[in-house]
Amino acid sequence: MTEFDRDAIQARLTTCTSKEATFKELVSLSKQLERLSDADKTDEHKVKGCESAVWLIEQQDNGICTFQADSDAKLMRGVLVVILSLANGRSKAELQAMDLAAELSQFNLSSYLTSSRTNGILGILKQIQA
Amino acid sequence: MIFDANKLRDEFPILAMEAHEHPLVYLDNAATTQKPQAVLDALIAYYTTSNANVHRGAHYLSDRATAQFEHARDRVARFINAPQADHVIWTQGTTDSINRVAYGLEWCLKPDDEILITSLEHHANLVPWQQLAFRTGARLRVLPLTSKGEWEPEYERYFNEHTRIFACTQVSNAIGVKTPITDMLAAAKAVNAFTLVDGAQAIAHYSVDVQALDCDFYAFSGHKMYGPTGIGVLYGKPHALEVLTPLQTGGEMVSHVTYNSTEFNVLPYRLEAGTPNIEGVIGLAAACDFLAAQDRQGMIEWEQKLARYVFDELKFNTDIEIYSPASDTTVVSLSVPGIHTLDLNSYLDSQGIAVRAGSHCAHPLMAQLGVSSTLRASFACYNTLSEARRFCDVLLEAIEILGDD
Ligand SMILES: Cc1ncc(COP(=O)(O)O)c(C=O)c1O
Repeated sequence: MTEFDRDAIQARLTTCTSKEATFKELVSLSKQLERLSDADKTDEHKVKGCESAVWLIEQQDNGICTFQADSDAKLMRGVLVVILSLANGRSKAELQAMDLAAELSQFNLSSYLTSSRTNGILGILKQIQA
Repeated sequence: MIFDANKLRDEFPILAMEAHEHPLVYLDNAATTQKPQAVLDALIAYYTTSNANVHRGAHYLSDRATAQFEHARDRVARFINAPQADHVIWTQGTTDSINRVAYGLEWCLKPDDEILITSLEHHANLVPWQQLAFRTGARLRVLPLTSKGEWEPEYERYFNEHTRIFACTQVSNAIGVKTPITDMLAAAKAVNAFTLVDGAQAIAHYSVDVQALDCDFYAFSGHKMYGPTGIGVLYGKPHALEVLTPLQTGGEMVSHVTYNSTEFNVLPYRLEAGTPNIEGVIGLAAACDFLAAQDRQGMIEWEQKLARYVFDELKFNTDIEIYSPASDTTVVSLSVPGIHTLDLNSYLDSQGIAVRAGSHCAHPLMAQLGVSSTLRASFACYNTLSEARRFCDVLLEAIEILGDD
């Protein structure tokens, strides 16, 4: 399990001064994501409402949640790294108390997050809190 | 008359916009086109000078609205060379037109009958027939067309004594190829099948002559030909329209009603229940006038030249697979193996370029092409060579950034 450093990721994305740089950074972040095996990419793990395919798997250990996620689209994998950096290592209660969408908006992703993408991502956040 | 896209652009106010701090480059025209000022003016003029319900009131405004509404039918009939205005039925769009025919012909199908479509259809010209087949026990058959829009001579056998209905698109929305519509319609007529042509992707680009096509039904949408959304046309030959069971019943479509019976009105009203989309009809007629006033030959040559430019720029790039034909098309549909089309789309969008990534409502066709989605740039009369060039440049930039593994 890779631990993602939220602050480092935020620093990397918020210092991007152009959209090109943001896209490059997302591509670079995407490489940190551990890919799921095909066996794990089941319909049950698939998040509904995303434009690209997204799978999310949750594990709980002593009340602490760990999520694994994958997508067939690279930029989405970059965003998943951002999301996992926010969500992993917290309890369900902690996650439910957070405004994950507001947290995500601090990562300077507006050039990527079109309205239809945002809907899909809200679906992922909802599932993390469920 | 010389076609000049740069001049024509000025008639489309929205094209002056910026998107994500870049000049908007609108290359999603196969999904819907932008609207010229003349269409916008017609909508405003209707509401500011003529708004009333049609065919109803004996009052000044209602007379004006009805006159404009019926005059619009004449203009649209002329636009597609329909012999008479009452062969033009107003619908909500292509999907609605096809559904009305699929419902209206249900009475003529029995088990063992066949409904024939092709492998290049939009879901709008597939699902209504499939569902009709489910309801009646008829078989849905799919005539294989290649992605070059060709068919094998031995496929004549798909047209046989069981074929009741043949429905085919004139131009593929997903890859922009023309189908061999004339030959197929001839084969369908030889076996006495009802014929429907899906003209959604043809109507903005090619001069459509329904009498020359000699099809029973022709369906298209206003919004894909510079007109408003929510309005479309079902053209039909009189005998074909006459035998359709009305999908919708209610006011306007009747001539006499008792509690025990209803006498339906004559065509076209028999197939137009309820208050119609009057503003849509008037806007559509304005769009027909807009197109009719252009040098149509020059326009289509220009649109095809833009697609050809993109094709030629990208054809030797080994990262890119192109599914559209090299010529005779206004669309370039492509994929970049290893990069998701949605990611390409996101990058293009961030640079102000509007294209479409996805399966283009044609899942079976995507399966035939062996991809799950493509990126489609589709051109209209107002696009310029510099927009085509910018699309290519930004696409290559996207591939460079997103291809980094
Ligand atoms: C070939 C084809 N047929 C049918 C349709 C459906 O048109 P509408 O959504 O306007 O009803 C489209 C629209 O994309 C199309 O491209």
